[in-house]
Amino acid sequence: MNMQSIELIAPRYQLAWQPWAVQYFFLVALSYTTLWLALPGAVFGVQRWKPAARLALVAAASTAIVAPVSLLADLHQPLRFWHFYAHFTPWSWMSLGSIGMPLFVVLTLALAWLVWREPMAERAQEQGFVGWVARIARLGDWVSPRWLIVLTGLGAFAASLFVALYTGYEVAVLKGRPLWHTDFLPVMFVVTGLIGAAGLLLVLDRFTGTRAADLRADPALADAPRDRPFSRQMLKVLLIACLLAGGTAAAWFGVGLTQRDPSVAAALDSVQTNPDWRWTTFRAVGAGGVLFLAVLILLLRPRIRGFGWVLGLMALHTAWMFRWVVLMNVQTVQRQTAGFSEYSLSLGSSGLLGIIGSFGLWLAVLMLIDIFVPWRAALGGAAEPSVSSDIKGVPSHG
Amino acid sequence: MDLARRLFMTQTARLTAGAAFMPLAGVAQAGINDQPPRRGGDPAKRYAMLIDLRRCIGCQACTVSCHIENAAPLGKFRTIVSQYEVENEETGELAQFMLPRLCNHCDNPPCVPVCPVQATFQREDGIVVVDADRCVGCAYCVQACPYDARFINERTQTADKCTFCAHRLEAGLLPACVESCVGGARIIGDMNDPDSQISRMIDEHFDELKVLQPEKNTVPHVFYLGMDERFIDRPQAAPGLWDVRDHDGQEMGYEYAEH
Repeated sequence: MNMQSIELIAPRYQLAWQPWAVQYFFLVALSYTTLWLALPGAVFGVQRWKPAARLALVAAASTAIVAPVSLLADLHQPLRFWHFYAHFTPWSWMSLGSIGMPLFVVLTLALAWLVWREPMAERAQEQGFVGWVARIARLGDWVSPRWLIVLTGLGAFAASLFVALYTGYEVAVLKGRPLWHTDFLPVMFVVTGLIGAAGLLLVLDRFTGTRAADLRADPALADAPRDRPFSRQMLKVLLIACLLAGGTAAAWFGVGLTQRDPSVAAALDSVQTNPDWRWTTFRAVGAGGVLFLAVLILLLRPRIRGFGWVLGLMALHTAWMFRWVVLMNVQTVQRQTAGFSEYSLSLGSSGLLGIIGSFGLWLAVLMLIDIFVPWRAALGGAAEPSVSSDIKGVPSHG
Repeated sequence: MDLARRLFMTQTARLTAGAAFMPLAGVAQAGINDQPPRRGGDPAKRYAMLIDLRRCIGCQACTVSCHIENAAPLGKFRTIVSQYEVENEETGELAQFMLPRLCNHCDNPPCVPVCPVQATFQREDGIVVVDADRCVGCAYCVQACPYDARFINERTQTADKCTFCAHRLEAGLLPACVESCVGGARIIGDMNDPDSQISRMIDEHFDELKVLQPEKNTVPHVFYLGMDERFIDRPQAAPGLWDVRDHDGQEMGYEYAEH
């Protein structure tokens, strides 16, 4: 018997996880992936990776500080966070994460501190507040031992692998939401995180002035001003991350079609029945494709590589949007009732203000690091140029 | 040493070694997301509910009495009756379908192992409850439940759900929804007692009983009699009469919007 039915009465379900969750998953993914990009230069001393490591360490440390704040804000009882430690629950991914994530934050900050102690030695000689902070923060006049840097770096790396694993499986383990219940989701969180990480370093490179300093310092770059090893390197990382993300998505879809993965079936169902989901899918695939092609073009044409930071912003947008769609849009798919629930972003702290606020907090942390830590001089980098006080100087327009 | 004897010796060694690892194997099996042990409640009992849909008229008396008994916030429900208007495409005949919904008090509840602070747990009598003093309001259990039976109570800022009115059961009373059901559609009882009404009805109608989303392997303990199998999963239906829109397609209002 063919039938048509109308659902007359059903409750309206609110989204249980707020945009704070998106902020946490975004920031923590940026943190562990930028840490990975920092490791070769900062821990293993690979010369070629040192410029990337200088930026990546700043990125990893700043996002590691802000990510847990967003996570705490997503709890409806944030002041009860100590219950996580009073009632440790080894069979819950979230409880395991409450141990692993702070460990990751502490080890990442410790690694950054050990590396930054060296350039801070010079600053500790200075007068004034900044010099005083440098004297206090170095905790004594000693050279960070190499073995301690390597040990802390390896510890942070191990913790970062765990954070990548737990943030993925915390979501993928939920069979109550078929769209999340797939082993491909944790992989996708990691590779889209890597897209965001390469993007973030390209953006930081442009706006912290390391790019400008590089161009000034290296006369060899005068002939090919945009062909810097750093931007080539980051674009390559971005290209590989795009390929991995595309491959993972294709594998998920392919495996799902052949083995009837319920998450693929649920995705197809949503795309077929909801125009918003169709549009979201086209936009996601389109954005990924455009980003991949643009990175490829910039790699082939060094002359226009100055636009790398624009691709960096696009990459960050891709990584963020993936988490928004996965965490927020999926929550609008009804489970025992018909259709989709509506979600409109509220303006308050559980909505837009929360999103802007956590990015604002990140910017503030970044600025504090920039004020107090001479990170540009770390790992053998050139110290920042002193700001010219020459009032007769020719005005520069970029 | 002959071959048979040598084989016997190695086999014994293997068995003994295996025995030494038995406790470890047990630990390894109690892996992430496995059910923790049940605690509290009467271990001799297993509460369950049977809903005779043939007797449900969709009056929402259960919804209202539950709301009053358990003081749920407006717009949030521990139980509600979903109502559908079904049209036969060939004959144009109309019919109503009622689906009272509540927590299924599953034998394999997906909401329990995810809780990071063990605030939600299953009692030995099968009832799944939340310790609101311990709950941190992470809403992980709300995500884990495939039946949307849980919600965050904005007054307590913790997870909230149907408890089969455990406080009333312990006082020898029926749950509010059962007490108020005008058609006598809801039957609650102890499945371990062969003489209870629910046990007798389960025996009598065993082949006709259905549960919601059985493929999720949650083993629900709310059984439906007279259930149409097209409604055991997310139904293929046009949603919601409560969405009232103006000419521009904008929503005009929602009865239970933030009060």
